[in-house]
Parts: sequence; structure tokens; C-alpha cells
Amino acid sequence: MSTEQMQNTNMDAQENGAPEADISMERYLTFRSDGTTMGVSTDYVIEILTDQMITEIPMVPNFIKGIINMRGQIVPIIDMRLKMGKFADTTESTCIIVLDIDSSCVGIQVDGVEQVLDIDKTQISPIPVEDQQGLVDGMISLSSQEVLLFLNCQELIRTY
Amino acid sequence: MDNGMDNMLDMYLFETNSLLEQLDELLIEAEKNEEFTTDDVNEIFRAMHTIKGSSAMMEFNSLMTIAHRIEDLFFFVRENGIDSLNSTDKSELFNLTFKSTDVLRGEVEKLENNEPLSTNIDSITSEINSFLNKISGAGEPEEEAPAKEEAPELKAAAGSEAGQKLVESFGSKCPFFLQIFFEEGCGMENLRAFMLVNALHGTELEFEFYPEDVESNSATSEVIIDHGFFVGFHSEEDVNKAIAVVEEQGSIQTYEVIHVEKKPEAEKAKASDAPKAAAPVQGEPAKGTPAQNPGKEATGAQAQHAKQSLLSVNLSKLDALQAIVGEIVITESMVASSPELQGLKLDTFLKNTRQLRKLTDDLQDISMSLRMVSISGTFQKMNRIVRDMKKALNKDVRLTIIGEDTEIDKTIVDSISDPIMHIVRNSMDHGIETTKEERIAAGKDPQGELILSASHTGSEVIISISDDGQGMDTEKILAKAARNGLLTKPESEYSKKEILSLLMLPGFSTNEEVTEFSGRGVGMDVVKKNVESVGGTISITSELGQGSCTTLKIPLTMAIVDGMEIRVGKTIFTIPISNIRQSIKIARENVLHDAKGNEIVKIMDEFYPIIRLHEFYNIEPEVTSIEDGILIWVEAGDHSYCMFVDELLGERQIVVKPLPSYLNSFNIKDYGISGCTILGDGNISIILEVMNLYNAANV
Repeated sequence: MSTEQMQNTNMDAQENGAPEADISMERYLTFRSDGTTMGVSTDYVIEILTDQMITEIPMVPNFIKGIINMRGQIVPIIDMRLKMGKFADTTESTCIIVLDIDSSCVGIQVDGVEQVLDIDKTQISPIPVEDQQGLVDGMISLSSQEVLLFLNCQELIRTY
Repeated sequence: MDNGMDNMLDMYLFETNSLLEQLDELLIEAEKNEEFTTDDVNEIFRAMHTIKGSSAMMEFNSLMTIAHRIEDLFFFVRENGIDSLNSTDKSELFNLTFKSTDVLRGEVEKLENNEPLSTNIDSITSEINSFLNKISGAGEPEEEAPAKEEAPELKAAAGSEAGQKLVESFGSKCPFFLQIFFEEGCGMENLRAFMLVNALHGTELEFEFYPEDVESNSATSEVIIDHGFFVGFHSEEDVNKAIAVVEEQGSIQTYEVIHVEKKPEAEKAKASDAPKAAAPVQGEPAKGTPAQNPGKEATGAQAQHAKQSLLSVNLSKLDALQAIVGEIVITESMVASSPELQGLKLDTFLKNTRQLRKLTDDLQDISMSLRMVSISGTFQKMNRIVRDMKKALNKDVRLTIIGEDTEIDKTIVDSISDPIMHIVRNSMDHGIETTKEERIAAGKDPQGELILSASHTGSEVIISISDDGQGMDTEKILAKAARNGLLTKPESEYSKKEILSLLMLPGFSTNEEVTEFSGRGVGMDVVKKNVESVGGTISITSELGQGSCTTLKIPLTMAIVDGMEIRVGKTIFTIPISNIRQSIKIARENVLHDAKGNEIVKIMDEFYPIIRLHEFYNIEPEVTSIEDGILIWVEAGDHSYCMFVDELLGERQIVVKPLPSYLNSFNIKDYGISGCTILGDGNISIILEVMNLYNAANV
């Protein structure tokens, strides 16, 4: 999606009245990870980082890339590709989205950030096949070819 | 601190907790002397009064009621003098007071944990009431007539002189009055009073009330606000029944029982003289603020002399300060060693950075000293435990405390309190002989002794808990360990030190029976874990028949440590300097192998295993040959071994940062990764915990 379209989407949202007015509307940040487009509620998002030096930590599952120093705060980084059971890979646009989940910071490394969308929560449908990890808790079609999967942040940091 | 209510609750908890702690200390001391001094009684009375007042303000009714009852009890004691009680009553008074402070503490804990307060506190209040009735009844024959009249009262007499006068002005024949104050600003006091009257009518009690025209005359509101609403009764039983009703009514701030005294003025003056501190307090509870304020002043004035220069600060503020100071230390070293400066000749700059370093060091020392608290609080708690267990186990033991002024980081104090408690319980339960006869037979003082001591040694605090009891039987320990399958080598090879450290393995408890106090099988291993979690070590020594001694070595603070930076592959680790004995380069031929093929090295006639960090942590190393890398000889607790690393990077002071809790849930602490620190260039170094690494490598 081009920048122009992105702006359009945002403007549309504003023209349709303030999103806060409609309680079923929520803003989502969408990102790519190995060909899938996923969304996470902007309530969780703290910031997006690029070119971060990640310190590896031994003795942890492989999907944990390591830890970063975010202005003196230590933030663990989860590689979304590995967490979803895909191959590890980096692209030019690979970046880290820092999320605040239950007031603890966790970063997810994704292939790239796309845009912020206002989505009517009532339109979100459950996923037909429950994936084993429960990482995705809903989906919505964006266009005829594209679907957006919603990341379940609680499941993301569940460790048992 | 988000809002006023939290703030107030914090203050309330702080104040109440410190009062309860003071009380405990005082009670222990008093019980030791088997006597309450007049000061003690006054102190308890004041403390309870303050707790009652502030609890009422916070609307914690259960706390308020209990404190109120104890206050009543000690008011009686104060009025009649402690000498009016016989020794059984005294010991009962001690037990009752201990018990009630426990209940209070329980309630406060509930508040701290955000649990609802108990609504049913009848058992403790009725216990206090019945005791009060008992001693007031018992007090009668000894006292003269005026005292007799005074005796059965709760807290009347001198306390509410103002109320007295008012009651007298009613010209009623009732000897007992309830003076009731409604909540400030609740409005329609006269109707509330009338509702109360209706409720009392329902109980078939005989009573009179003043002002009498509450139902029809709304002007009486003012009178009730200023002087309270009075209900007169003919007997004390009626008063108590009525109190139950009154307590059920809403909007009632305080109530007080007033006993109309029919005695000469001189007598009254005398009575009101004694409790000077409280007299003005209860005389004017109706004034603006609730009753606790004057009470606070009374205690405050007392404490002020000692505590004038003290200030209580929220721990989170100190944490923030510590964090900032840590950042400053890092930034300072970042600035001073910026790569841009290399090769430049900057005399003034160097001079100034040296000065800056000195200042930051001072700042760090001061900020660290702010967090230091004396360990006496923890030790005083042990007094209480020893006292309770003494009673329960029927053993005669005295607790000697040495060096209670030793200071230690606040967070560490909090986390070693439980381990110390556990060890003290163990000593009481298993250490000290069961009967006096056993002790006498062993040629010891019939009274057992438990010594709790703390002292400083540079960077550590040493806490030891020793008893002169029966000591530990190493053979029994060994046999039991063998039975539980805890031995890893033949029994004959165990040294005494090793046998005693078996005690701290999980699933080991020497006592066959589980008792209330110790021996649940989750004993010393938990203690050991707790102590190690704050970076401390624990060791036990014991002589059979002579007693045992448990020693804890605790670092002064965990926040800033001297560390040695090392590199393995691309990863940078930091090892606390205190764990490092030496770093050595060795030749390949000096590396030996044990039966399993593990590498070992001989240093100073002793053999030590080598742990290759790159193998252990699965890191791509730059060097694998023992000659190219370097060995670091480390020691922690009872273990000593060598780590093989790529290179030493140098020593520096580091600020320990905990790992994110998400990572800790993967148990990486068990693999020796205890925390991390931010290096001068913004990168992160992982702090190794030498002991855990050893344990993990040997599994």
C-alpha cells in the first residue's frame, strides 16, 4: 500500500467522525511477518525501533532474539518469524515494535511496519482453525486478496 | 503516588505498622521484666488511641474496634495502676495484648494485600471485654469506694470531663451515659439521633436521652454536633447491649461511655490529673477533626525528641534516585572515555573529569547509604518468635542480640527476614534440648541461649544465629541423606562440612515429626535459595552436644558492584570481582582430565574443574584452544572452579539491572544469568552468577 493510500485511509477515518465516538472502533498497527499481515492494537504499542543492537541471551528458546537497551530500560525481543514457527530472516525494513503488555515491555521483531488502521471490532471474525499457540485471535479481510490477522498479546508472552 | 487516597493509605500503613512494631518491642521487654511500667501502659494506650483514630478516619472498622477495646483495657489498667492486677491476670494481660496486636497486624496485612477486612472480630473483642470485666471485678475489693465506682467503667472518668459536666447538667439519675458523635457533616443529626432512639426502643432497654426533643426540634442538631447525643442507662450491662445497637447504626463517628461519678471534686481532680496526655484528647472529640488528631500530637510530641532529624521517604523514590545515579555513573564513564578524545592532549579536561568522577563516586556512596536501614527491626521480630515458641514448646530460652545497629540495604533486609526466622525456629525447635534436665545432665545452664548477631566486614554483612543446644549429629544426617537418596558419593568420603551442607538440599528435614514451627520438609533449602537470591551465602557449623551456628554472608547492596568484563565470542559477560580469585593463562599440558573426560586444572596443589563458557552457553567462540583464551578462577560459597573465556576486557563498576520478568520465566537464573548491565557504549553485558553456573554445569 502506498503512502498516499495510507493517508487516505487515515483521512477517511477522520472524515467519518472521531473514532473515539464509536466504541467498537479501535486503532490497529499492521505489520508484515513472512508474508502475513498482522495487526496489534495501538493501545499496546510504545514505539517502533530500527537498527537496534540486540544482545543475545544464552539458554532461552530460539525465538527470543535477545535484549536491547531502550534508553536504559532492558527490553526482551521476540522474533515473530521464529515465534510463529517460520524461518528466521531479515529484510531491509526489519524493525522492532516495542509493546507494553501488562506494564512489561516486550519488543517484537517483524519484517516491516505498514500502517495504522481504524477497524470496527464487530467486523472481526474468529479464525476458522485454531492455531496451536493461540497467537492469533481474530481476522478480518482488508481486500479481496488480503486478510489481517490479529495478534493476541497475552498469548505472546505466555511462557507455559 | 497516584492520588491522595493512596498516599493516605501509605501513610496509614506506615504509621500503624511502626506503632505495632514498637508495641511488640515494648511488650517483649515488659514481659521479660514481668511487669508493665507506667510508661509502658501509657505508651500502649497512646499507640492504641492513635491506631483507633486513624483507622476510624480511614473507615477500617475492625481495626478501629479492636484498638478501641485495647485502649479501654489499658485505660482501666492505667487508672488503677498495674499493681492492682495479680500475676495470673498480668500474664493473661500479656497474652491478650500479644494476641490483639497479632489480630491488628493480620488486618493491616489484609489491607496491604488489598484483601477485604474481616467483619467478624467478635471473638477478640469479647475476649478483651471479658478480661476487662474480670479484672475490673477483681479490682473491687482492693480499692476504696471511689475506685469501686470507677472500676467497672470503660474509659469514662477523667477522660471526658466535659461530657461529665454535661451529663450532670441533665439532672438524670442514670449512672451510665453513652455520648455519641455523628459523622461530621452528615446532616440532620437530630433525626439520626431519633432513629437511634427508635432502634434502642426495639431492644427493650430502659434508657433516657438528651436532648429530649430531637424528633421535633431541628435546632437540637447543633447541640448534638457540639456536645454529642447522650443516652443514659441504669446499668453497665445495658450500656454494653446498647453499644451493640449503636455500632450497627450508620453515620456514627465515635461513642464514649461516661460514668457519672458521685464523689467529691478533689477526687475527680486527682483522677483527671493522672492521665494528662489523654485528658484533653477525649474531652473534645467533637471539635472539627476526628479524635485521632490530638492523640497523634500526644504521641508525636513524645517521639519528636528522638526522631526530629528523621524523615520517612517512599522507597520508590529512593529506587528512582538510585537508578539515576546509576545512569550518571555510566554516562560519566561514557564521556570520559569517548573515542573522539583519544590522542588529544587535554590537561584541563582530564583534571575536570577526575574531579567529576570523585563527585559521582561520592554521590553514589550517599545515595546508597540512603537505602541502608538498621537490621534491628528484623531482629526484634525474632524476639517475638522466640517468645511464642518458648511458650508453645515449654522451653526456657533467652535470646541475645548483638550488633542490631548493623545497617544493610532495605531490599535485602526484607528478603532475609524470612530465612532468619526459619533458622531461629529450627534452633528453637530442634537445637535447644527438649527439657531442662537434659541440659543440666549435659552440664549446661538450664536456660538455653540463642545468639543473634550481625556485623560488617567491608562489603559484606555477616549474620549468625547460634544456639547452645544439642548440636547436629552428622551420622544421623548422613544416614538420613542416604535414605533420601541425596548422596552423590560414598558415605565415608563426606567431610563434616559437606555433611552439614546436606541439610540445605531440597527435601531434607532432620526432624522425624512435622511440628507447627518447623520440619515441613521445605526447610533449609528454601532458606538457602532466599539467601542466594540476594547474592548471599549460608553455612552451618555444629558440634554435637555443644550447639550449632548458622552464618549468613550477605552483600551490603546489590545495586552497584565491581565487575570484571569478559568476552566469549561476541557476547560480553560481567563477573562480580568478589567471586574472582585469579585469572591464569595455562599451557595445554597442564590441563588434566578426570574419569568422565571433564577438564580439570591443578592450581596451588588443588584440582579445579574447568567450565568452558562457550560450550556451556552454546556460543560461537573465537578461541577454543586453552592457550589462546584465559582461565578465570572463581569461587562462590563452597564451590571453586575455573571458567574458560576468550579474553578479559577489564574491571569496572557496574549498575546491576534485573532481567525482564519475561526472560526470568525461562529460568535462566538457574543457568547463572542473574542480571545485566549497560556498558559505556550503550551495549548490554550479562552478569554471571558464579554459584548457579556451577550447579547448572554439574547437573
